[in-house]
Amino acid sequence: MATGAEILEALADYQVQCNENKRLRRMQRDWSRLLHFVADDTGDIFTMDVVQGEIVSYAAGAAGAPDIIVTTASENLCDMFWGDLNPSQKYLQGEIRVKATQEDIVRLDAITMIIWPDV
Amino acid sequence: MSDDLNTLKQRALADFAEFVNPMKVRTLKAAGIDLIEERRDGACTWDLTGRRFIDCQTGSGIMNVGRHNREIVEALKKALDTYDIGVFLVCSRQKADLARKLAEITPGDLKCTVYGAGGGEAVDAAIKIARGYTMKTEIIYAEKAYHGHTGFALSAIGRAAYKEPFEPLMPGFRQVPFGDARAVREAMSADTAAVILEPVQGEGGINVPPDDYLPEVRRLCDEHEALLILDEIQTGFARTGRMFACEHWGVVPDILTLAKSLGGGLYPISATVFKEEINDFFIPHPFVHLSTFGGSDLGCIVALAVIDYIEKNGLAEHARLMGERFRAGFDRLTAAYPDLLLEVRQKGLMMGLQYTNTSIGPRMTKKLADRGVLAIYTGNDPSICRLMPPLVITPAEVDEVLAALAGAMRELSGEKGLGKDD
Repeated sequence: MATGAEILEALADYQVQCNENKRLRRMQRDWSRLLHFVADDTGDIFTMDVVQGEIVSYAAGAAGAPDIIVTTASENLCDMFWGDLNPSQKYLQGEIRVKATQEDIVRLDAITMIIWPDV
Repeated sequence: MSDDLNTLKQRALADFAEFVNPMKVRTLKAAGIDLIEERRDGACTWDLTGRRFIDCQTGSGIMNVGRHNREIVEALKKALDTYDIGVFLVCSRQKADLARKLAEITPGDLKCTVYGAGGGEAVDAAIKIARGYTMKTEIIYAEKAYHGHTGFALSAIGRAAYKEPFEPLMPGFRQVPFGDARAVREAMSADTAAVILEPVQGEGGINVPPDDYLPEVRRLCDEHEALLILDEIQTGFARTGRMFACEHWGVVPDILTLAKSLGGGLYPISATVFKEEINDFFIPHPFVHLSTFGGSDLGCIVALAVIDYIEKNGLAEHARLMGERFRAGFDRLTAAYPDLLLEVRQKGLMMGLQYTNTSIGPRMTKKLADRGVLAIYTGNDPSICRLMPPLVITPAEVDEVLAALAGAMRELSGEKGLGKDD
């Protein structure tokens, strides 16, 4: 089980990885979404705001009306933001649940592929 | 598995990722369908490493006569001894023969043909003909419709994700809900050139319309002097248990688009077949719509062999019977797994399984692949598994697919994330 502080630390690194990757920023420049990440074992919720491919903010708590909701165990959230797990595999095992369009689900996986090609 | 073959497969996947599209490889790999096809025969395809799959995807209905059908292969080989694709500007015996045959087998008074090389091109031609002939501009199409990725066809697709990156598209296209004749009536105007529909939506989730839908749309088109275009690219050539799906409802369109199985999975060819009076549009300008590879002589020979094979082997009736066999199995699965399988949508061997939520389609794709069945969720709705096996599928192979579905559902039922709200 991961604490809220650990997930926020992972999110901070994820933000840097995403925002400093020029290829990813160019690729995602047409993509603006509000995301909620729900840790179903601890009840923690985190909000991430992506504007034209840039993660402009993230914070603990559920803010706004999300376009995408990702629900999984807190440990999986941590591993996902550190690049330690393949989210597609976990999704196909039912361990990560995503409420989003099919296109957005692919987008999320594409981000992982660009930042961590070997995951 | 031979190490050499596995190495060959991994190299192919790596090259595909590097030189075609890495995300495609990643997505297919995650779904367990990163096969590299090698041998193909009947209802089956074999991975380079020797794994056998029953092909229930068939490129969304390209392989009605089966994978690598020997009779069609021989017809193509024989043709290659003498012919090439032909010069598209001149007349050819092969083009004439196929056009005559299409006039014979298509419903009602459909008679004349314009050729293309793919489905999108056939739909583009249909919409151009509709606008040119009626001298009106508006095209009515359905939500969740799929007609191809070319210019006019893309404008008539009912899925925003395919269109938005390329906007602005063609003007004058109006979308209505599928299966609702009243919506078509309300959308029609004096400027409606055509209504374009799939008799059964494929990519949209195997949506079978109410029985009165197509007859009523036909009547509305007549009333408004608009043309009815039926896209039978997926439903045509015996897929639904009739040579063409529109025959189920006794509806004759003004324009019929055909592709996919017309080429038998061996040679690309498409056809836009229309009523004789519509040819009046082409008479004053016979060179207004051209296709370099459309209706090539080789493609026409293959198409004639395909039609002959379907007719002499009674594939429409076989599709109906195998569809009934599948249906009995689906009914057992629905009873056993009511929390997973909500609905079965089916016309012959055009079949869709509606699962509880959108994650289940991709998850079942993987579990079925693990069990040797290639069946992929529909593009417009991942909660629906599309099953479109070759029409030559045997009763034993139908049972094998049903057993794989049962095993996959049994395994899935023990996992998380199966609720409607997940």
